[in-house]
Amino acid sequence: MSLRRKLLAVFALTVLLTVTGVAWLIQAVTRNAFEKDENRRTAALVSQFQSEFNRQGEEVVRRVDRVAGSEALTRMAAALGGASVESAEYLELARSLAESHQLDFLEVLDWRGNIVSSAQWPAKYGYPDTAFETLAASAAQSAFLKLEEMQDSSALGLFAVRTTRSAEHPVYVAGGRRLDKEFLSALNLAPDVRVLLYQNRDQQFAADLLIDPSSSSTLERAGPAEKLAPLVQAVRRSDREMSAIVNWSSAEEDQEVFHAIPLRGVAKDRPLLGILLVGHSRRSYVELKHRIRDAALLAGGGGIVLAVLLGSWAAARVTRPVEELAAAAQEVAVGRWGTRVEVRGHDEVAQLAASFNQMTTELLAQKERLVQTERVAAWRELARRLAHELKNPLFPLQLTVENLMRARNQTPEQFDEVFRESSQTLLAEIANLKGIIARFSEFSKMPAPQLQAVDVNEVLGGVAQLFQAQFKVPGKAAVECRLELDGKIQRIAADPELLHRALSNLVLNALDAMPSGGTLTLRSRRENQKVVVEVADTGSGLTPEECERIFTPYYTSKQHGTGLGLAIVQSVISDHQGRINVRSEPGKGSTFVIELPENGGALGGERSPRDKTVPVRG
Amino acid sequence: MKRSGWRWRVISVLLTVASAANAATRPQYGGTLRVAMRASPSSLDPAEISEAIGGRNVTALIFDRLVTTGADGRVQGALAESWEISPADQRVQIRLRPNVKFHDGSPLTAEAAAASLRKGNPGWTVTPAGDLVIIEPGVSADELLQVLALPRNAIAKRDSGNNISGTGPFRVADWQAGKKLTLAANEDYWAGRPFLDQIEIEMGRSFRDQMNALESGRAQLVEVAPEQVRRLGAPRYEVLQSSPVELVALRFAGDAASVQQKNVRDALRFSLERHSMHTVLLQGAGQASASLLPLWMSGYAFVFPTEADLARARQLRDQVPGAPSLMIGYDNNDPMARLLAERIALNAKDAGLWVQLNAEGEELRLLRIPLASSNPRTALESLNRQLGLPAIAGKSQSIEDLFSAEQTALASGRVIPLFHLPLAYACAASVRDWAVAPDGSLSLVNAWLKSQQP
Repeated sequence: MSLRRKLLAVFALTVLLTVTGVAWLIQAVTRNAFEKDENRRTAALVSQFQSEFNRQGEEVVRRVDRVAGSEALTRMAAALGGASVESAEYLELARSLAESHQLDFLEVLDWRGNIVSSAQWPAKYGYPDTAFETLAASAAQSAFLKLEEMQDSSALGLFAVRTTRSAEHPVYVAGGRRLDKEFLSALNLAPDVRVLLYQNRDQQFAADLLIDPSSSSTLERAGPAEKLAPLVQAVRRSDREMSAIVNWSSAEEDQEVFHAIPLRGVAKDRPLLGILLVGHSRRSYVELKHRIRDAALLAGGGGIVLAVLLGSWAAARVTRPVEELAAAAQEVAVGRWGTRVEVRGHDEVAQLAASFNQMTTELLAQKERLVQTERVAAWRELARRLAHELKNPLFPLQLTVENLMRARNQTPEQFDEVFRESSQTLLAEIANLKGIIARFSEFSKMPAPQLQAVDVNEVLGGVAQLFQAQFKVPGKAAVECRLELDGKIQRIAADPELLHRALSNLVLNALDAMPSGGTLTLRSRRENQKVVVEVADTGSGLTPEECERIFTPYYTSKQHGTGLGLAIVQSVISDHQGRINVRSEPGKGSTFVIELPENGGALGGERSPRDKTVPVRG
Repeated sequence: MKRSGWRWRVISVLLTVASAANAATRPQYGGTLRVAMRASPSSLDPAEISEAIGGRNVTALIFDRLVTTGADGRVQGALAESWEISPADQRVQIRLRPNVKFHDGSPLTAEAAAASLRKGNPGWTVTPAGDLVIIEPGVSADELLQVLALPRNAIAKRDSGNNISGTGPFRVADWQAGKKLTLAANEDYWAGRPFLDQIEIEMGRSFRDQMNALESGRAQLVEVAPEQVRRLGAPRYEVLQSSPVELVALRFAGDAASVQQKNVRDALRFSLERHSMHTVLLQGAGQASASLLPLWMSGYAFVFPTEADLARARQLRDQVPGAPSLMIGYDNNDPMARLLAERIALNAKDAGLWVQLNAEGEELRLLRIPLASSNPRTALESLNRQLGLPAIAGKSQSIEDLFSAEQTALASGRVIPLFHLPLAYACAASVRDWAVAPDGSLSLVNAWLKSQQP
């Protein structure tokens, strides 16, 4: 991964973690604040409901007071006295009074507790009210809850009991309002609050015992009433107020917080008559929470994108000089010593760039100096070799000419004979001089390779075939030639004649190195997308110093070598964009290893690496 | 001269006042009478219409019967001018009243009358012969005449297009089945054109709705629940009620299948506080009764005890293992039926029986059945048929035989009579000369509307 990408990743990760952390923090704080607010709100709503409930109770008391004080009741109380309560006159009385005073329940009881008139169960006239004892005890008290039994059902009501006394015995008036949908709907509550009533009639939770003013819409739409069962059962068990969140659907917006209030009767055992469920929707909270989350996601996402863009820009600004330095360093590595990078600003990277430029300048200068030094050394070596080469034939020439001059002066009679012998010697040495000059001329005229698809194994075979006669020269120790060729290697782009010539030079050197015979091995193989050719001998081997200098022109370890053979070989291999090196130890033979590029790209006229230029921003 | 002129003026004024007073009591033609009723019949065919009183009131206005029953229970001629009973008492020859026309203008013929009777009585042999209709019903002639007086035997002419035509005082002007019926005066009515031009009958209205309609002037003649009659009492309405002609009873779906079941039924019967219900719930209307026929009709109803015997009821209930329960059904549109059912359930509970209310229940059902005739035997026959009881054996009309027949019917344990209630109607003061027939049906043939002019 590049430095720029690393920097970018670090930037993005940092921003992501920061945004996530901030979003989580905001959400946690919001949730905490909302929960506190929700608890406060629930408490306020419950308080509001209770005051509203009490207000309704007071209203019931007022209405029952009015009924008890009505003229009809007073007359009735006076008329009843101790007479039979079964009177046709009173059958409709309770009902008409209940209607006129807007009461759902109204019973008139005589002092024995027998029903004189009943609005909710008219047919029960004359029968005793089973709850008379409780009712009588509740007379003149505030409103209370009572489960009113009727013919085929029972209903929870908010009751009040008052007495009317016009004769010896009082008449009891027990009136109330049914805790039904209308009652719950009439409660003046906040718009998003609803009140449900569960009538605690059965041991098991039953959905039809739940009174919901909004059952035709909200609850049915929201979900089954059974979802309230756990809360109802919990209140039954714990006998105290409880709160719970009800999930009407998988959507969080449909959650509703319910606060359950147990409602008890006034009988001695204070039976649990019902459970009031004050609910309010969490929709506003959830929606706000979602808005915060969405905003955080949007801000986070935007921040990340922005951070990526800015990070990319910043990373580019930071890494561009470094990348340029890296590219320049690579250029230098491939030998382009003159590569330079642009120096921007005055920071550490700029100093690094300046140092780089200074380094390359210094390297270039050193290279120039080295080249000059080498050139001088080469000239010196050339001069030495040339002097050495020329000195050898010149000395016989000088001796021959001096011998001629001496013969003419001292022995003229032998001069012709001496002249004839000397002439032959002079011609031979002059021919020798010509040969020396021709070799030097040949080295300077190394032709450019004419590339074509060449089978290296074929070239190796040709070389082996060429020297076949010299491997077994009579009177000399034989040399065994081995061919270890890899048949799977591809053809390469090469000049077959130059390659043949280079390999022939190496074979000649090998033969020279094995005067006592030995083994010459010619190998080919494929390695790292290169074709490797080895020419190995079992000759005398080379010292490490000889290994270092063996490819230097005019260096030779042989008695009569010119020192140009391996230089020519290296030149040929280099022109084929290959490399040559030698592995050798004294007495253990030498192995020359040639690496040639496998692809035939050179056939397309690929430029030599020396021709390449590295773009360096100046 | 001056004295003479003054006298003439006085005489003139007196004559004018006398004339006006006379006009107020003299029947007047014209006007539309608006009536409301509870029944909502879906057909006007007398052979299909139920024997409920609402159906009787409607058919009596459109159709005539050959004979009718008077207040004394005796048969009177209507479309039948005369009749002759064969010596063997197997055949009746009825001579039709001449010049009677159906509402479609066609004359009443023996063929039309015979066809109408055959429709309502498929078992009879009815033969037209000139202006005579000869009936061989397979029952006694006296009984036949009582049956002919039943509303279902009103003479109707039916054509292939499902149109029906009568000979009654009013013809059908508009009919919205079960909702509204508009009748127009039959100009050619054989007994003379009725005074009213039109009668509009709103159907399917509860007692409360009818009373509201009467009070608001939207109706001039309405039915009144018997228990409400005592409270009505307003001088601006004329209230008429019949003799108790409607039986209120509990009917079991079938015979008792076991001794235990019979004990349960008897326990229920003994637990019922008829007098309390009659006094309080029914506000004293009608009579508490343990017999099928009312006292005024049979004369022996008092023999059947109406008092509750809770001890006996509990004793019977204790002979039944387990917790016996019953489901009582009632007419959901009748508030009084609901009240009675609730009280019956309370009484039963006192005896240890668990009775639940279910309006649709058929196992035990609270019924209100109008008496079909003022003739005891015919009425009992009709009751037995409607209650699913066996027909009366023999042809005797004697009280002893009727008593015996009723004892047999009650002994079956399938029915528990509770009350006999009258039928009551309230009418605006502007409606005059209306009456309630002995069978409780309205008689509007001679009704007329008093002019509202001062």
